[in-house]
Amino acid sequence: MSETTLDQTPQSDAREGVASSDRRKFLRKSVALAATGAATAAAGNAYGDVKLETVTEPLEIGSTRHILGRGVVSVPYGMPSKFEKDVVRRNVSWLTADTVASISFTPWQDLHGIITPNGLHFERHHAGAVDVDPETHQLVIHGMVDKPMVFSMEDLKRMPSHTAIHFLECPANGAMEWRGVQMNSMQFTHGMMSCSEWTGVKLTDLMEYVGVDPKSTWLYAEGTDGSALQRSIPMEGAKDQFGEPLPAESCEMYKDAMIAYAQNGEALRPENGYPIRFLLPGCEANMSIKWLRRIKFVDKPLVTYQETRHYIEPLPDGTIRQFSLVNEANSVINYPCPDYQMKGKGAYEIRGIAWSGRGKVAHVDVSVDGGKNWQEAELVEPVLSKCVTKFKLPFEWTGGEHLIMSRVTDETGYVQPTLMQLREVRGFNSIYHKNSIQAWKIEKTGEVKNVQIENF
Amino acid sequence: MSKLKTSKFGLGLAAGAMALGLSTAGIAAEHASGFNGIGKNITEKAIEPWDISVFYDGTNLPKGSGSVQAGQEPYDAQCAMCHGAFGEGANGYPKMMGDPMPQFIKSLKQGLDGVGNRAVNNAWGHAPTLFDMIKRHMPFYAPGTMGVDESYAVTCYVLNLGMIVDSDFVCSDETLADVDMPARDYYVTDTRPDVNNQRCMSDCYDEAPKVVGAAVTGVSQ
Repeated sequence: MSETTLDQTPQSDAREGVASSDRRKFLRKSVALAATGAATAAAGNAYGDVKLETVTEPLEIGSTRHILGRGVVSVPYGMPSKFEKDVVRRNVSWLTADTVASISFTPWQDLHGIITPNGLHFERHHAGAVDVDPETHQLVIHGMVDKPMVFSMEDLKRMPSHTAIHFLECPANGAMEWRGVQMNSMQFTHGMMSCSEWTGVKLTDLMEYVGVDPKSTWLYAEGTDGSALQRSIPMEGAKDQFGEPLPAESCEMYKDAMIAYAQNGEALRPENGYPIRFLLPGCEANMSIKWLRRIKFVDKPLVTYQETRHYIEPLPDGTIRQFSLVNEANSVINYPCPDYQMKGKGAYEIRGIAWSGRGKVAHVDVSVDGGKNWQEAELVEPVLSKCVTKFKLPFEWTGGEHLIMSRVTDETGYVQPTLMQLREVRGFNSIYHKNSIQAWKIEKTGEVKNVQIENF
Repeated sequence: MSKLKTSKFGLGLAAGAMALGLSTAGIAAEHASGFNGIGKNITEKAIEPWDISVFYDGTNLPKGSGSVQAGQEPYDAQCAMCHGAFGEGANGYPKMMGDPMPQFIKSLKQGLDGVGNRAVNNAWGHAPTLFDMIKRHMPFYAPGTMGVDESYAVTCYVLNLGMIVDSDFVCSDETLADVDMPARDYYVTDTRPDVNNQRCMSDCYDEAPKVVGAAVTGVSQ
């Protein structure tokens, strides 16, 4: 429980002669100031009143100045600076029994754009990452089609190509936080999501080529790893095993699907499905089958292990939700975040990422007072469908406590919910699709902590 | 698919021929279809070794059978080290047997832990896809190496551990679809969005936020 009064505005006024407590009262009275608030000047310096240190020691000549560096191709495939050694995928050892059927997390706290570098894309395997030889690998498309066909990797690369930037998100992203605060790290609260530029062949182009029967309402995709992972994907008219229709939006998702062979311009990495993977933007990433070997067009779902025992949501009304496929809008502030401390008072830029499986991000609002007041953040171009969008908002930290949080609204008008709103409907056992507003607490010490707000 | 309104093959060829003239129609056709000459046809017979997926209703179950009794030996030898001799789970691997259905549902309604309890006897709707999972993916350390009859037998043994079938039951392509799975009628397909937050911008709450802090220290600092 926090008893401290929170500073309320991103542009906390620090004007000369206004004592801290008075300032808070003043701000509480005037939300309008909070909105315009750039008036942080006053103290004789147009950039604010935080006293700066002065360097008087003559500068050192750096150790790199009088030596020869490495020649070209000394590292044929370039790697990050050795000083970036901590920017790596991580796993949570107690989360799974081994690393072969497990997950790793993208370090968004150290990323600055919308693209996840290939070596940092989160991994989710069910029987480990395998090395599939592209010379011999084949993709079969069959079932309710005019022409069952088989394609080599060269065949796929000859076809008309499709390139788009999309996020992939495991439905378990944030799952460790359902019952309470657990992971004091943004990497672990939101790192089961990554975003890449993908290139491949559009599924709908292939569907036309093989002549899919209009009566086909489902397809399924299958991998060639040990788990031979398979998922059912609905199309128009899809019904579940009880004859109930799937949501219309779920039945449209396949139109953006592709058979991807490239990720951020280079071949897929083995841990992301080399040489090809299914890519179903906007849907839980488990459906984007890696090491893809087969697509079959059918007229009913498999209701496979993944669909009946694993990616299901037990609800407090005693039902079990199935086929919750779409990733709803989500956002989080990745600077500041619990992985780093504040570095002194003064100016910061609050930055974050927002995404929606239903389309484009429309707005992101930021609160620094626990959700009482919000200010719209600037969206950084490009703003693309089913893609991470970066947002930013200036912030003056005067040393007070803040609860900072972001809230996305997507182009369908869906507004990211609070954790309490989710819990009210889904209880504590629904495991997946936890997309609630994330609060970080900035302490007076400069520590940043993962917290949850329990009353709204 | 007929739902895809434009046939790029036909239209593209016509447009290409008009633009480039007859002498280059061959190039135009290739350009227009984007697929001319790519790939191979394949017979369903040739696909058979890969076409292993079993549907919830038993469609595509392979011919074969295995009894509860026949399943004990392979289960104890290949499964019990991870899933427990009685299906209770071991070493962090999934349990085959969780709370019985009534207790599982009660836990959900009371907000008690149901996540770690998901199992064959309370969160698996259809027996044929249990066979599919075992045949395809098990045993974990050597995926997909059990034979058809052995997979039926292990399926049957697991179902018996959950008191879903009697100990004299024989699982087969004929019987598996009719096994009455305890969880089957509890599934409801997605109806989200199930929450409706509003985009309030100012004075959204009267009371102060009640904040709960973190229990675990971050590892990446």
